[in-house]
Amino acid sequence: MNYAKDLIQLNNKKRKQLTKENLKYYENILVYIRLSYSKNEQETEEILSDLLNHLLEAQAEGKTAEEVFGDEPKQYADEIIGELPGMLTKKRTLFITMFILYFLATYTISSGAFVLILYYVFNLGELIREIYIGSVLIQTLILVPITLFLGYILIQYIRWSCFKQINKVAEFLLLGISGIVSFGMYRAVFYFVPKFSPIVEMPIYATLPLGIILFLAAHMTRRVI
Amino acid sequence: MALRSQLLKGILEGCILAIIARGSVYGYELSLRLQNYGLVVSEGSIYPILLRLQKELLIRGEIQDSPSGPNRKYYFLTEQGVAALQEFKKNWTDIKTPVDLLLSKED
Repeated sequence: MNYAKDLIQLNNKKRKQLTKENLKYYENILVYIRLSYSKNEQETEEILSDLLNHLLEAQAEGKTAEEVFGDEPKQYADEIIGELPGMLTKKRTLFITMFILYFLATYTISSGAFVLILYYVFNLGELIREIYIGSVLIQTLILVPITLFLGYILIQYIRWSCFKQINKVAEFLLLGISGIVSFGMYRAVFYFVPKFSPIVEMPIYATLPLGIILFLAAHMTRRVI
Repeated sequence: MALRSQLLKGILEGCILAIIARGSVYGYELSLRLQNYGLVVSEGSIYPILLRLQKELLIRGEIQDSPSGPNRKYYFLTEQGVAALQEFKKNWTDIKTPVDLLLSKED
């Protein structure tokens, strides 16, 4: 069932045999096609492995990737994507569920750890917190779509940058600014959502098992895909 | 898309079916066969076509371990593929003779 994962591993190994230029050309195509994310994974990995095998044989005969796939790699990759069958709706739903579960797990554990560090390292705050269940639910409902949206933007950015020479400094600044803006958006959600009941008193340790359960659920979803 | 490239694509599809009909091939092998017949196309251009032919169920791919390197995808013709090839052959003969005639009378 999960033959795609074997193909990915094999691809990782085989790719090392490519020359520097061919590897750069091929990896751009690979990342761009994989991140089209709405395509059948098995078919995607099969064609990527086909392309790699072809390039390796052509390379042995002294040909370059440009000679084999042309000098318009983006156009070529788009042509491939256009012919790939789509991902099943059920799989797509599982994919998004997995993403949300991983996000919630990371979020639960890191916010729990944050409080624990404040308490034990800096002697700040308390271990038992009053949690406004209503507020937490609303915050989560707002944060999940924001995170999905940020993830989407990031994927689009990586795809866009695949076939471009981007100034390293500019990229660093851009990513830095986006990071600050996203962080600001998260803080704003916490700041502006009003506190409302019901209130529960919860020891902060409880976030850890909750986070672990979410991680396990995410992991199980991933295995089903 | 330009009529010219549409036409070429259709012909290339037919030729690929014809080659696969003579025995299963993997991608690189297929591009070599095409070149041996003097059909010089950019090697990479066969892959979008192979994907389309698979989607239309005219061919199917099977990953097999080969003696010279593991995990190659071999392509086979399906029954629908055989029928499509027959139709291509018929269309081709229907159009080939009149076009040849027309072009040769030009000068």
